[in-house]
Formats: sequence, structure tokens, C-alpha cells
Amino acid sequence: MNVLNGKITAIETSGSLSIIEIQIGAFFFKTILIETPNSASYLKEENQVKVIFKETEVVIGKGTKHMVSLQNKITGTIDGIEKGALLSKLCIKTSVGIIISIITANSVQKLDLKLGETVTAMIKTNEIMLSE
Amino acid sequence: MIQISVQKKLLAADGEIKLNVNISLKKGKLTTIYGPSGAGKTSLLRIISGLLKADKGRIVVNQKTWLDTDKKISLKPQERKLGFVFQDYALFPNMTVKENLLFALDKGQDKKIITNLIAITELESLKDRKPENLSGGQKQRVALARALVRKPDILMLDEPLSALDPAMRNKLQDYILKVHKEYNLTTVLISHEVGEIVKMSDTVLILEKGEVIKQGNPFDVFTNKQISGKFQFTGEIINIKKEDIIYVVTILIGSSFVKVVAEENELKDINIGDTVIVASKAFNPIFQKVK
Repeated sequence: MNVLNGKITAIETSGSLSIIEIQIGAFFFKTILIETPNSASYLKEENQVKVIFKETEVVIGKGTKHMVSLQNKITGTIDGIEKGALLSKLCIKTSVGIIISIITANSVQKLDLKLGETVTAMIKTNEIMLSE
Repeated sequence: MIQISVQKKLLAADGEIKLNVNISLKKGKLTTIYGPSGAGKTSLLRIISGLLKADKGRIVVNQKTWLDTDKKISLKPQERKLGFVFQDYALFPNMTVKENLLFALDKGQDKKIITNLIAITELESLKDRKPENLSGGQKQRVALARALVRKPDILMLDEPLSALDPAMRNKLQDYILKVHKEYNLTTVLISHEVGEIVKMSDTVLILEKGEVIKQGNPFDVFTNKQISGKFQFTGEIINIKKEDIIYVVTILIGSSFVKVVAEENELKDINIGDTVIVASKAFNPIFQKVK
């Protein structure tokens, strides 16, 4: 799993759902939780939290311009590629640290992804977990 | 309410330790004592039962004083209303299941409790067998029923399930929970299995070198950090297998096996047999009606 350390900068709550904004360096992640500041004490602005998401939930876009609904989009360069029979692991160097993505080997081939190439790593809002 | 305050010097493997415990047990609750070997867990149970003398202490069970070293009060083990189940079954080999239970009756006590206990622990078809003709799990069910014959104020279980295989263990846990609720027992369990503790206990105490170092709701005690995933279980790592460039990890949760995909870095300090928390967001799982 990808684990990044950040700081909560905004909390928007409706009923028992909250959208939390977390700052890591100059980048802001957003996540939706079934949790509110009342139900989880660590949900407080300025609190340090870990941002956690699976490698298999990281979508890769070639280049930097994409019209997609995903809110968490961070650009980086490919720092490593490990090819398997069906899957491939990409290490992406970004301003928030290394993000690992596991996508199909076929996609790597179709997009013609190479070392040093600029890509965008994208994670859906509902795929990010927080931990103290 | 049961108040226990005991002190005793104990000789452990790595030198002398001082058992120093102040706890209260709430009626109807199941409390588990967890901790490394030699922490004083069994000694604590033996002091409560009167089999081991405390250097200093006071035990008050539902307003009745079992022990008060200052006032030189110490009830004999047989005067303390408690039930004890150990890892080995300690049944009388020459008696049938029913006779083992009858033997535990107090003089003049109504025999109806035996019928009730046989029913609730589902021993009806086994009641005329001798212990040698029972499986480990069945013997432990008899030992549990026997410990309840005198309607104990405290039921003490010293690793009662550690000799059993996982499936049998799971069944016995359910029997213990059933009688614990049915008879509104105050139960103290010693266990090393985090999964078992989370499943069974209201409260867990971690005992280390004779002192309670942590206590509370088992989930809070065993998970240092809160994680926001709502689909969350405790399980045991059964198998780790590399498939292509990822790993498929098989985890036993309750009596079900689940598989989780992991990446190499995640498995650095994870070994087969480890207890882990499995978490996913509530947004991922789907369900379908089966009935």
C-alpha cells in the first residue's frame, strides 16, 4: 500500500459523511469517509494523518492533461517499471514521494510507458483511507 | 462487582517479579488477561481461587470478602464460588459425563441445573459416555459445564482452548459465549489469541511482569492507530503466495478464508501466523441476497 504523511487542512461534513482535504507538500489530497469529527477524534484540522491507498487503485495517465472526474491527480516521472506476465508495477516519483501503481502489463504496452516519462497518477476520492 | 487487589512476589524464568494488580470486574462481563509467559497471569487466577497465597491482598466478590490479608480473612478454595477450566480437561476418567457433572453438585443442590447445562452445551447424546470416548473439544465442553454446576460468581478459564484445532476452538468459543450470556456470568479468560480476544471479551488487560500495563476495549487496545476503513476485521495470516508481480495473502477471519492482494513492501514484517487487521473502505464491497 502507498502511505504518505500529511496534514488535515479542511473538513466538509454532511450527515455521517465527510470529505477531508489533506496537504502533503504543495499538493492536496481529498478523501471521502463514513466518519465525522464527532465519530473520529483524529479528524481535526492541522492534525497529522497517514494517507493510505492500494497500488492497484492508482490510475495512470500519460502526460499531464486529462479531463477526468478523479480529484486526486499528481504528476510525476516513471522511476521504475517491473513487468510481469499480466501485471506491471510502476514507481512514480512525485512531489509527495514515490507512488506505486499496479496496472495491467497490457496497459503499459498500449500507452508505451517508459522510464523517465511524465505521467499523472490518479486516485479516486473513495479509495483513500486515513490513519492516525 | 468484584474487586481484586493482590500483591505477591513470584519467581519467573528471568528473575523475581512482583505481581501487583488492582482490578475490578463487572458482573456479566468477560475480561481477558493477555500477556507473555511468566507475566503472572495464571498466578493471579490461582490467587483469586485460593490455591496460591497472596503476600498482601483483598478480594471482595459481590460484597462477600474472600480475602483480606490485613484482617486475616482467607476463604478456602472450596468456600469460594468459582468455576475453573484449564487447558487439560481434568475429568474423572471412571465416571460418565453426567456423573462428572453430578459429582460437582453441592450437597442438597437442585439437580435441575445438570439437565439445563447438558442441554445448553449440547451434551445430551454424550451424557452416558466416559471421557476416554470423547474428543478434545467434547471433553472441554464437559469441563465447561462442570465448572458451571455450582453457579459460580466467577468463571475462570485458563487457556481452555489452546490445545484444540481452529475449527473446534471456534465452536468452543461460541459455547463459552453462550453460557456466559445465558447465566450472566462474570468470566475471566486467559488467552494468547488476539482474534479470540477481540471476538469474546468486553475488556482486555495486558499483564507484563506482574503489572497491568494497558486495559480497555480489545479493539482499542490491540489497534494502536485508528484507521478509517469501515470494512475491518482481525484475522490470521495463513498463506503468502507470489503470483505474477504481486502477492496473494490468505487470511483466516473467524472461520472464513479471505484473500487480499499485497505488494512486496507491505509484507516486509508480516509472517504466516501473524494476527493482522484487514481493512477496506465501505465503498468497495458489494452484497447479494442469498435467501
